[in-house]
Order: sequence, then C-alpha cells, then structure tokens
Amino acid sequence: MKSPAFSYYQAKDLADAINIKKSDDDSIILAGGQSLLPALNMRLSSPSVLIDIGSINELKKIKVEGSYLIMGAMCSHSQIMNNKEVNEKLPILNKLLAQVAHPAIRNKGTHGGSIAYGDPAAELPAFAVLVNAEIILSGPNGERTVSAKEFYKGLFETAINSDEILTSVKYPINQNGMKLFFDEVTRRHGDYAMAGLVGSIKQNNKINEEINLVFFGTGDRPNEAPKTCEYLLKNEYNYSDIKDILKNDIDFASDVSSSSDMKAHLSAILVGRMMKELN
Amino acid sequence: MDDLNQNPKLGSADRPNSYIGRSVPRERAKKLLEGKGKYVDDILLPRMVHLSYVRSPLAHAKIKSINTENAKNIPGVLDVFTIDDIEKVCSPWQGVLGHLGEMRSPTQYPLAKDVVRWQGEPVAVVVANKRAVAEDASELVEIDYEDLDAQLDMETAMDKSTKVIHDDLGNNLFWTRTVNQGDVSEAFKQSHIVEEVTLDFARHTGVTLETRAIVADWDSSEERMTVYHNGQAPHMMQSIIAKHLNITEGLVRIISCDVGGSFGIKVHVYPDEMVTVAVSKLLKRPVKFVADRLESYSTDIHSRCHKISGKIGVDDKGKILGFEIDDLSGIGPFSVYPRTSAIETNQVLNLSAASYVVPNYKAKGTVVFQNKTPMCQYRAVGHPIAVAITEALVDKAANALGMDRYKFRKINLIPDNSYPTKTPSGVPLEDLSHEACIEKLKKMMNISELEKYKKESLAKGKYKGFSIINMVEVTNPSPAFYGVGGAPISSQDGASIRLEGSGAVHISTSITEQGQGTEAVMQQIAADQLGVKIDTVRVTHGDTDATPYGGGTWASRGAGIGGEAVLKASRKLKENILNIASVIMQSEVNNLDVQNDQVIRKDGGEGISLKDLAQIVYYRGHELPPGTNAELIATASFSIEGIPFVFTNSAMGCLVDVDVDTGLTKIEKFWAVEDCGTQINPKLVEEQIRGGVVQGIGGALYEECIYDEMGNLTNGNMADYLVPMAYEMPDIIVDHVTTNSGRSILGAKGAGEAGTGGAPGAIMNAINDALIPLNTEVTSQPITPEKVLKALGKI
Ligand SMILES: Cc1cc2nc3c(=O)[nH]c(=O)nc-3n(C[C@H](O)[C@H](O)[C@H](O)COP(=O)(O)OP(=O)(O)OC[C@H]3O[C@@H](n4cnc5c(N)ncnc54)[C@H](O)[C@@H]3O)c2cc1C
Repeated sequence: MKSPAFSYYQAKDLADAINIKKSDDDSIILAGGQSLLPALNMRLSSPSVLIDIGSINELKKIKVEGSYLIMGAMCSHSQIMNNKEVNEKLPILNKLLAQVAHPAIRNKGTHGGSIAYGDPAAELPAFAVLVNAEIILSGPNGERTVSAKEFYKGLFETAINSDEILTSVKYPINQNGMKLFFDEVTRRHGDYAMAGLVGSIKQNNKINEEINLVFFGTGDRPNEAPKTCEYLLKNEYNYSDIKDILKNDIDFASDVSSSSDMKAHLSAILVGRMMKELN
Repeated sequence: MDDLNQNPKLGSADRPNSYIGRSVPRERAKKLLEGKGKYVDDILLPRMVHLSYVRSPLAHAKIKSINTENAKNIPGVLDVFTIDDIEKVCSPWQGVLGHLGEMRSPTQYPLAKDVVRWQGEPVAVVVANKRAVAEDASELVEIDYEDLDAQLDMETAMDKSTKVIHDDLGNNLFWTRTVNQGDVSEAFKQSHIVEEVTLDFARHTGVTLETRAIVADWDSSEERMTVYHNGQAPHMMQSIIAKHLNITEGLVRIISCDVGGSFGIKVHVYPDEMVTVAVSKLLKRPVKFVADRLESYSTDIHSRCHKISGKIGVDDKGKILGFEIDDLSGIGPFSVYPRTSAIETNQVLNLSAASYVVPNYKAKGTVVFQNKTPMCQYRAVGHPIAVAITEALVDKAANALGMDRYKFRKINLIPDNSYPTKTPSGVPLEDLSHEACIEKLKKMMNISELEKYKKESLAKGKYKGFSIINMVEVTNPSPAFYGVGGAPISSQDGASIRLEGSGAVHISTSITEQGQGTEAVMQQIAADQLGVKIDTVRVTHGDTDATPYGGGTWASRGAGIGGEAVLKASRKLKENILNIASVIMQSEVNNLDVQNDQVIRKDGGEGISLKDLAQIVYYRGHELPPGTNAELIATASFSIEGIPFVFTNSAMGCLVDVDVDTGLTKIEKFWAVEDCGTQINPKLVEEQIRGGVVQGIGGALYEECIYDEMGNLTNGNMADYLVPMAYEMPDIIVDHVTTNSGRSILGAKGAGEAGTGGAPGAIMNAINDALIPLNTEVTSQPITPEKVLKALGKI
C-alpha cells in the first residue's frame, strides 16, 4: 500500500494549475486527498504529477451572489458546516454533511473534490443534481458552466475535460418554496449509504405541485426518479407501488454493502419517510 | 517463617501498598497516548531492506512459470526470491498435533510451490531498498498460472464431485471428532419438547490496529538471528525459527516491543514472516516486512466459518434431558502451524451446553479444507459458536414451554455448590458461579422494567427485545492445550524479580504486553506482595534474551499464570529481604515487614529503606556476617496442574431495537457480570470485558470476509469490511462476582475473551426476542439488515 512514485506540484493560482494540467495528460488535481490518496496507495492509478490546488485562496470562498450560494471548490466539508450563511440559507447542507464520513475526513475533504469525484454513493453530487446546481469549470479557454443534471455521465465519469478544474458550485438559494428532504440508511454512522435520498416538494394549498427525488448509493451516478415523482403527484404513498415504479426509474446496482433488492427496498422506505415528513 | 504473617491477604485495602484489586492508572497508557510507543515498524537498522510479496490473485491455480527478470532490473531492487531460493534456508512445516486424534494437513511451504491455494498466498518476494520500490517491482514479476477449480464452500467440500485440494489426502477432510456422553436419542424420546436450530457464522478476522510486522537481522559472524516481532509468544517463535532455519535455538532472539493489539491473530506462524527471516539469512542483513491493510485481510488468519445444527430436549418441568450439536467448519487450504486449525471446532464441542446440567450430550465436529485464507484461533476461540447455539436452543426450549427464560436457566444451570464437576462434554470444571452471576445480572438489567418497555414499544410499532445468556470461558490452559500434542508452546511461565542498588524493583516476565495492561498488572502484584510503591517497580517483557522462558500472552493466561509466577517470585524476594534485614537490624524476621519501600519493625523503632539495604548488600557486603544469604533476586514459575483449563463464567444480556423497515439493529444497552476470580486491576478487567463485547458485536452484526464465486475476497479493506465503531456502541455495564481459582495463591482466572465469546449469542437472542411478535427469526451472523429484512419477507 505504497503509492507509485509521483511528482508533487503546488499550484500558485488557478492559471498556473490549469497550465500544468494542460501540459501533462497524466497529471491529476489533488484537493483534500481523502479519496485520491487511498486510491493511489491501492495502486488503482499512477498519475505523473499531483497538482495541489490547496493554496489557491480564491477556491476557498463561500459567497452569496443574488439568489445563489457559491461554494469554492476547496471549501472543506467542515468549513461549510460551520458557515453561518450556509446554515441560514441552505440548512439542509449541514444535515447532509454531518453524514459524510467523520470529522477528520470532513476537515480535509472538499466540496469540489466530492462533486468532481462523483462517487455514486456520495451525498453532495445527489444534492447538486436535486437543485440542479451550476458547476463551474475552468480550462485553458476560460470558464464554462455545466448544470449538475448534465454533469454526471456514468460511474465516476463527469463532464470535466482533462484540462479543466472545477472551481465552484452555484446553488440556487430560493428553492421557490420547495421543501427539502435528506435521509440515508447506513450500517455505521459516516459510512457511504446503502441507499440515500435527497428530495424536494413544492406545495400549493397543501397540494403537491412538484416532487423531485434523487437517490444515491443506488446506481452508477445520482439517480433521478421521474416516474416515481409523477406517481406521487397523483397518488398517496404506497410502499409496494413505489418500490415497483422505482425499479422502472433506476437500475439498482448491488455493491458490497447491499443487494439491488435491498437498495430498491430502502429507496422505497426513504420515499415513505420523505412523504411523511414533508406533507 | 509464619506464612500467614508474612504473606499479606490479597487486596486488603487497609494495608499500605495493597495494589491487588485496585484500578491503579497504568504508566504505559500515557506513553502510548503520547505516541511514544515503539512498534516493529519503528525499528530502523543500518543496511535494512524491505520486502513486498507477490501474492496469488487466484484461489486455486497451478504455477506454470515465474519470471522475475523485469522486477530485478528496477533500480533499488536487490533480489527477487521464489520458493526455489527460500527452500534452501527454510524448511516447510505441517499444521498437525498429536493429541486430538488424526489431523490430516499437508506440508506447507513458506512460499507457494507449484500450486497456489488461496488468494493472497505469497508466491514470490521482492527485496528492495524501500517498500515502495519493492511494490513497484512486484507488479513486474510475471507469473503464469493455470486455473484450477476452487473448492470454496465448506458444505460441498466432501461431495464426490468437489475438487480435492490436496490430492494425496484423497478428500478435503482435515479433522473430525465426536463426543458422546449418555444417550441423546433416548433422551430426545423421553423429552416433552424437542427444539432444533441451525446457525451460520461468517468468516471474520481480527483487524489489529497494528498489522503484523517483523524485522529479522541475521548476524553471520555470531550465527545469531535477532527478530523484532509483534507476536504474542516469543519463545514459541524462537523455537520455530530455530527449527526451520536450522539455527541453534539459543542464538535466536525474539524481541517484542509494543504490540498494537493481537487478538490471537499474532500467535501463529505466517509464511511471509518465515520468509522474512529466511531472506535475512540469505542476504546477511536486516530485513523488514510490515503487512499492509490489504495483505492483512487476505493473509491474517480468519476464523469462525461455521455452520452448526443443534437440538435440545427438555421434560415438562423444563429440565434439559439431552443436547446435541453437529458443527461444520471450513479452514482454508492448510491447518495453521503450530497450533492447528482444529482447536476452534474442538472448543465448540467442549463448550456447547457447558453452563448447564445436561445428562445426555452428543457433539460432532467436521473440519474441511477450502481455497480461502487459512483459518485459526482468534479471540474467544470457538466460544461465540458454542454460546450462540446453546443459548439459542435454551431460549427456544423456554419459549416452547412458555416458561420465563431466566427461570428456565435457573432450573438448568450448574449449581454454584456443585463444583468440582464436568461440562456435558466431560471437561472438568471448578470454582464457577453461574447462579450468582445470573442473579446479579437480573437485578442490573431490571428485567420487569425491560418487559414493560418492550410491551410499550410494541404498542408504538417498535420492536425491542432483550436476552440473558450464560457462558463459560476457557482461560489459563495447562499443557493439555498444545504442549501435549507436540507444539513448542510453554504452558509454564516465569518471573524473575530483583532489588537493585537504587532500591528499584525490576521484574522480568515471560508474559507479553499487547496493549491490555500486562505490565501494570505485574507491577501491581509485585508491589503488593513486596510492600513497595508501584513506581518503584519496573517491568521487562517480550525479549527472549532478557526474560524467563514461557508461553506468552494468549488464551487469557497472562494474569492467572504469569501473575502467579510474579507473586511467587515476589514472596521469595521478600523473604530474602527480611532475612537480610533481620541480620542488619538485629531483629527477629517475624518482627519485620516491608511497607512503602522500607523494612519496618512491627513493634515500632527504626527501620531501614530497601535502598540502604540493597546498598549494604551490593556495595558494602563486608558489613554482613560471612555466609549471609544476600540474594536480592528471586525467580519462580507457575503452570496449571491437574486440570486442563481454569474456566471462568459470565452472564450477559442486551437490549436491542430492530427497525423492521430498514432491518437495522441498534443495541440499546449491554450488561455483563463476569467472574474472573481475583481482579488485580478491576478497570483493566472491565475494559477487557467491554472491548471483548465490542469485538463480539462486530462478529454478531458487522464483520464478514466476503468472497465471490471465484474465491476473491471482495471486501478486504477498511471501507468495505465493517468493524464496530464507537458511534454505534452501546453503554456496556459490567459487574463482577468473585470466586477465586483454587489452583493458585493469586486466585486469578482470565478475563480477556468472555465478551467476545458471549456477545454474539446475547445479541442474536435479543434480536430474535424482538422478532417473536412477527413470527420469524434470524440464524445467520453477521445479522445484517438484509438478513433481517429477508427473515421478515420484505426483500
Ligand atoms: C473513510 C472515508 C469515508 C468517507 N465517507 C464519505 C461519505 O459518507 N460520503 C461522501 O460523500 N464522501 C465520503 N468520503 C469522501 C470525502 O468526503 C471527500 O469528499 C472525497 O474524498 C473527495 O474530496 P477530496 O477533497 O478529498 O478530493 P481528492 O481525494 O483530493 O480528489 C478526488 C478526485 O477528484 C478530483 N478533484 C478534486 N478536486 C477537483 C477539482 N477542483 N477539479 C477537478 N478535479 C478535482 C481529484 O483529481 C480526484 O480524482 C469519505 C472518505 C473517507 C476517507
């Protein structure tokens, strides 16, 4: 479990990092290192250079701009959990991040790292998809924005090009009166979920007008469930129907933590919890 | 000399220096907390090189060729060895012993020879100036394999169509044993109720915080092998390394520094460790191997892979008439050297139903080979299986009779006044206290409150259950455990204790420290018995050049056996001190005692400090009359005689919540009442119980080595192999009953394994209690949420 040899480069600023990234296809961005370094130690990849973006201060800012909350890529999970504005404007993030690993890992692990890595069992990518956050990427040709719904392409596959760096994530604050939900099922606190759900409901006069569901830990990426949402707009929650429809929405993939059947079951249970909590 | 007068009553709190029975803080804990511990990986020697093993990626395959050329060309690589090289300096071994009937396990080589038999088996070894370089080169060792069918499932091991792992043996059977006391079939016929159950236990492993590690340093000038090893039995390793590397045994020195947990994982002979020693001999320089976490999962011994069926018969009053078990276990491709892989099953046969009066008992054990990581003894060897099957059947019988589970146990437990007696399997028992323990447990748990809580919760749709279980624990083994079968494992331990010129007292003990507080316990016994302050006493352990010969630390034997040796040596030293003092002080020995590092006169008057006494002896011996016996060093040893083991007993219980939507089990509370005889340091005893319970919770709910159908270990990392973690752990409330062992002056039995042995059964019974209203049960450990939901028919 010693990583293969690599060079280390501490980027001075964003342009510097992009330059190096562009000049070397085998280079890789090092953020908090909580996923990358274990992967290297297990010799799952052997990059030439680790470009450490940890000293680029502009990536460590949390800003409110108009109706957006903007998280710099290098904001650590802990920094976000302790930020007053985040806790006022998007309190659900705190609840969600409290389930991400353990304090030591949250002190190092970054927002950008989690979104860019795109672990299908991770909480943040699912949340980004739920609110269709805007993901800002910078490359040699400047900046571009990809919506979270377009960002996740497959298992650990994202829209980031090899010469790009994720710089920030823009979350709409005012969710149009949307009520948000987060819950997950893990065997131990801080583990990646066997199945998790972030969801939102918009109501008018106690009537559900819009329902969104994004599951994590269930497939190869954050999984939306449009058919289930549609069903829930018209019908009362019913466990066995929901479980069936979810199976149409999502190709539940088993992993070491649980079978696909288990994931479908837990997903249906989570939907039930959400409907109870938000209605 | 008046023995009673000079030998203070153990643990009398009104006496100065009465450390036995007190939770004295232990010095070593501070050292470890400050990060000042010294582990094998901290050893840095000049010219030291590092190893990386090339391990089999396949469960079963022929080795067609090995090409090491490319690996050898990497800068920094010194050499790459295969069995052809290692065989020249290290002979193979066989994991069989002579005392338990026929064991059939073939010769095992330090590196795979011709065939690989489990994923993770070492095939070649790269030696380099750095571990990272060695790992780089390992990737370049080309091995051509030809796949063989893998025999993975223990249940099909004996089928005709199943691949035989060792052709010479003709089939995949390693060992079998049957115990038959009385007539069970007749007993079942006479029974009012007969209940049956079959339980499954998944393989799991020890997950020590510090992985296995070894530094071997061959000095060819002296023909001396020095080995830094984080094991549990230095003298066993000394003997084995001497034997297999053909070195004079006295010239092998094993040094165990701090050890970061062992749990039985580190008491076995591992091929990669033997190869490390061999490489040192080949290269004539120090060689280090530290298993990484991935290697630990696939090469540390696994344990607990069992399927056991049991049957109980009881009369209409609730008296047990008969008890029968049939256990199957799969141990990987080899029986592990030198303790063998028969012991776990043997313990299951010996210990099932062991807390109860059972007139008719039958037990059968079958142990088969598999192409998986070798299995061997891990903390609480066999106990979790024996306790779980026993207690599951006991609960079933009580429930079938409609009898309170506590009452059913009271009727059937071996009464406290009936010792010496025997287990249903025929193993001698003495000095146990099941009745006292369960009484205390019942009060602690407040069972009527629990019943109420259960009922109220059920009304709210919450499923709570609780359990009460009884168990015995094997501790302090005699030679009957291993030595009688031919293993070089000492059942006797020694202690040497000396008073130094400074007045300091120094003990050296053959018991080792793995983090559990051995050092503190030995200090307490010596200080207590000598009459000195605890800070006066220093301890040396874990060095075959510096300590008496002995067995080391395993099977909960440190305090009971090694502690007794320290007690005896301390008393001898004290006698010498008083004799010398009586000459110096011109006083009757009977009028003298030692307190707070001073020899005092019981009738008042001036005393002499131990320091002054020692300085007279050492520096000014001419002041003593000629011929005075002025020995300030004493040595003693101890081993258990007359019985195979000193058993202890416990009663445990737990309260669980089963979430029937998610299948998650939450342990709300855990209680344990244990009887380990004299508690030298109650806090250490309690932490052993708690730590043991946590490890038992691991086995019951979380831990499992998951293999795929090809024999790949799929979760050999800390993310996917779930160990119990602090967040999920319940309060564990511990209390004691004290019945001293009659086999020693100290009266201490062991306490290291009860929690691990008892918790799995307690948890399973509590979950099944919670599931009664739903008319279902779980029978397979770990009890995962998925298994619970399956039992509920939800998935
Ligand atoms: C024991 C453990 C438990 C965990 N549990 C959870 C959990 O329950 N839920 C959860 O969501 N996460 C969990 N994590 C992951 C952790 O929270 C981090 O979010 C995650 O490791 C990624 O963040 P990082 O900053 O460490 O990224 P790194 O490890 O530094 O990088 C990860 C990957 O993303 C790329 N990358 C990082 N930043 C950028 C960027 N700005 N632009 C482009 N590419 C980038 C890197 O090149 C690399 O490929 C766990 C981690 C550990 C070690």
